[in-house]
Amino acid sequence: MFQQTPLKLATLALIILGLLLYAILGGYFARELVIEVAVLAILAMSLDMVAGYGGMVSLCHGAIFGLGAYMYAIVNVLGEGSPISGTLAALAVSGLFGLLVGAITSRTHGIYFIMTTLAFGQMAYVLIFDASSLGGDDGMWGLGRGDLSGLGINLEDSLQFAILCLLCVPLSYAVLSGVLRSGFGRSLVGIRENEGRMRALGITIWKIKAIGFALSGTVAGLAGVLAAQHTMFVSPELMTWTVSGEVLVVVILGGLGTLIGPAVGAVLLIFLKHALSSFTDYWHIVIGVLLILVVMSGGRGVYGGLELFWERRRNSLNKQEV
Amino acid sequence: MSDLSFWLVQALHGLQYSMLLFLLSVGLTVIFGLLHFVNLAHGALYALGAYISFSLTNWTGSFWAGFFGAPLGVALVGISLYLGLIRQMRKAGPMNQVLVTFGLIFIFLDLCRILWGDIALGVEQPEIFSKTVEFLGVTYPSYRLFVIALGLAVMGGLHLVLSRTQIGAMIRAGVDNDQMAACLGINVEQLFFFVFCVGCALAGIAGAVAAPILSVSPEMGTSILIPTLIVVVIGGLGSLPGAILGSLLVGFIQTIGAVVAPQLASILVYALLAGVLILKPSGLLPARS
Amino acid sequence: MMKQWKRWILPAAAGALITAPAQAQDVKAGLLLPYVGVYAALGNEIERGFSLALEEAGVSNRISVVREDTEVKPPVGLAKARKLALQDEVDVIVGIVSSGVLGAVRDFVDGAKVPLIVANAGNDDATGSRCSRYVIRVSFSNSQVNRPMGQWMYNQGIRKVYTLAPDYAAGRQMINTFTESFKAAGGQIAGADFTPFQKTKDFGPYLTKAKATNPDAVFVFYAGGEAISFVKQYSSLGIKDSVPLYGSGFLTSSLYVNAEGPAAEGVITSLHYVPTLDTPENRSFVAAYRAKHEKNPSEYAVQGYDAGRLLAEAVKSGATTREALAQALPQVSYTGPRGSLRIDPATNNVVQNIYIYETVAGSDGLTQKVVGVMPDVQDAPNGCKL
Repeated sequence: MFQQTPLKLATLALIILGLLLYAILGGYFARELVIEVAVLAILAMSLDMVAGYGGMVSLCHGAIFGLGAYMYAIVNVLGEGSPISGTLAALAVSGLFGLLVGAITSRTHGIYFIMTTLAFGQMAYVLIFDASSLGGDDGMWGLGRGDLSGLGINLEDSLQFAILCLLCVPLSYAVLSGVLRSGFGRSLVGIRENEGRMRALGITIWKIKAIGFALSGTVAGLAGVLAAQHTMFVSPELMTWTVSGEVLVVVILGGLGTLIGPAVGAVLLIFLKHALSSFTDYWHIVIGVLLILVVMSGGRGVYGGLELFWERRRNSLNKQEV
Repeated sequence: MSDLSFWLVQALHGLQYSMLLFLLSVGLTVIFGLLHFVNLAHGALYALGAYISFSLTNWTGSFWAGFFGAPLGVALVGISLYLGLIRQMRKAGPMNQVLVTFGLIFIFLDLCRILWGDIALGVEQPEIFSKTVEFLGVTYPSYRLFVIALGLAVMGGLHLVLSRTQIGAMIRAGVDNDQMAACLGINVEQLFFFVFCVGCALAGIAGAVAAPILSVSPEMGTSILIPTLIVVVIGGLGSLPGAILGSLLVGFIQTIGAVVAPQLASILVYALLAGVLILKPSGLLPARS
Repeated sequence: MMKQWKRWILPAAAGALITAPAQAQDVKAGLLLPYVGVYAALGNEIERGFSLALEEAGVSNRISVVREDTEVKPPVGLAKARKLALQDEVDVIVGIVSSGVLGAVRDFVDGAKVPLIVANAGNDDATGSRCSRYVIRVSFSNSQVNRPMGQWMYNQGIRKVYTLAPDYAAGRQMINTFTESFKAAGGQIAGADFTPFQKTKDFGPYLTKAKATNPDAVFVFYAGGEAISFVKQYSSLGIKDSVPLYGSGFLTSSLYVNAEGPAAEGVITSLHYVPTLDTPENRSFVAAYRAKHEKNPSEYAVQGYDAGRLLAEAVKSGATTREALAQALPQVSYTGPRGSLRIDPATNNVVQNIYIYETVAGSDGLTQKVVGVMPDVQDAPNGCKL
């Protein structure tokens, strides 16, 4: 069950403010990093909604993310449509793809679910890779960013674009947590807890799963749109299964089933990767060891561990007062 | 080349690729069936087997040193993995297992790069299997026939062990219900350990056998992982007949697809996987009904 | 094994040295290469050649180098290019192995007016329809390497060819160029297959299919691990005995030809460089490279070397700003390890010799025997207007 706690909101505020300060005070590359963190955080939170709360560990979120980016590029470059229409089309297509995958896979569980999502993600990847009208493996270029000059905002400026991406993080958090707190969200968690009982209560399982996956996909698509606008270029690499794997790593590092944890994980992974790669080409090994340590130490992730510590402390304080 | 011999050669290609997939997937599936452990690092162990066989072959000048040394070496690595990591992770649920072994993939990938470099390497075929042989009007490389024979031998051997021996009966009991097996006085811990080592050794053999046909590179483990998982999942996790059926399906679909519809070759296997899982969500021949 | 450990420690240490901030230097160069992933070996070769050129020209103290890893991912490559240009404020960017990364970076360097010396990526469009006066390619273009083979193979009496390549943009460009030139010469294509890129383990089904069409020869493009598996399977399936194998020279690159072993003997391919070229320039380059790295330089090392040499010559001519370098770089011409080398003013692509070579057994391992030279091969502008 999702619970909005002051700790979650404080963590969110801390991340956003910290990154904002870093983007403003830091150099150019700081803003690149902040944008990367924001995109990855949104994507990871969207995965956490289905994986952490719905029990559906998806290995196709990279593909959904890439589909969003591609759809934006297709509307913007091939269709010469505006960034707004591109964004809307991207959100719609990622949502639809999520709905499809969620509906079809609703009968599978555990490792079988993971593998089915992998299959659908890889099929989307192969189709895009082979589509010569979409540039094949060379990808598509010449994408524009949104035009908010009416509001006095110039998205071509890296700082202003970074701020926009940062603002999308609390927005996505609000949407996802809103969904999870609704009656629908309770059904989703209920299915994870006990599918049979929920069915007995007269709930159509596949519908809940499909809609949950669609909502998660839509948010993943938003991350894709931001990534596409950021690089102004899309290529099939966005959609490979290892991207999905990396997002899963981020979710675990931060804390599965905490919603804000994945954002913490995104901050950690991007900054760690950057710090490590500047002094060794073999940074995968460090990430690997770290991942194993996090899982072995209980698998709560960094934020999950913090939350546990916090609660224990509060409980012991309460006891003392009593 | 007549039509018949053309298809005969293609069938042999399909069989050869199926056997390679089988050697890889059988270890994975048996480990899962008994230990309920999802080992994504299985592909990395296969790559390690190929690298060990490369080094041993170069060092001794004989392919067979690599062929016998690789499974031993990989099994040793498997033992330390089991004692250091896997044993603690057995009850941690599939999600955590997937992640720990995902971390292992990263570690093995960089270890291979550090020890053997980034450049892809090659292993020569053994002298006695370096020629082609002629039969039924087709010429076929004897090394590929050796791979097919090895695959069939492992298949038959495993079948015999599982159906005719005491340890086979213990494994089958463990797959069915490990707690019940423990109550019957079977030392389940020892059994798990044994099966894990055998699974690792099989991955090592697959690496050693694949090395002369393919190239040896740090990425080979990651790139074989997905086809192997597909085989295991299509067949039904934990099931030996499932691994056989799955590897034949995937091997033949890829081979025939490459001949008949090359533009679809890369998507066919995924379509097969999705199709099977939608119709039979726990695979074609699940270990437990 | 000890040597391998050194390989690991040294680049890391060198990386730390190379990125150390340098003062009072004329030019700052950003080295943008993959150091992880499938192309890591290529990135290292290019960097070695590049460093050698700077030392040899005596400009190491005038050019400071910032090293960044593209991870062979276009978005990462672009982010790093932006970092180099906007934060480190480099005067020139050097490197780029994959065409995907080049495609992602091209619009940015063009807009930011930062000269980019391309040291590998061969996509034809980069010096064709998408050319830029800031993108100078010193490596090769996909069509440049393969075009001469069409006529040459026809002249050898080959009339019917089956082609194979991985199914991605570079594979298609290389094969299409060859096919056009071979057809123009009067040859016939017996059939063609594109194999799933980096997913094909067994080439048997394709090779059996190719053989069934009874071609005079098979022409292919494969590189890296795929090249090793392909060449070995071509030989072990017994096809090599009856149908000779030709291809793009990356198939039997000196970087990994010894992993292919005897299977590579007799394979004839075309490339812009082989380490056995018997010219004074190449002999001294090979000697200098061997003295440092104890092995022959590959075409990738020479690409890095020429990228460094181009930069060094431009800096020596007095160019130190982005604009001056963009002006000066295409003017540089010299006779180097690959022979005479200049930049085509119409496209900014390199104009160079293409060597047709046979892989033969040598005293220690396989070596390259040049069997034909196409001098000064130049691409048509293909829609490029500079």
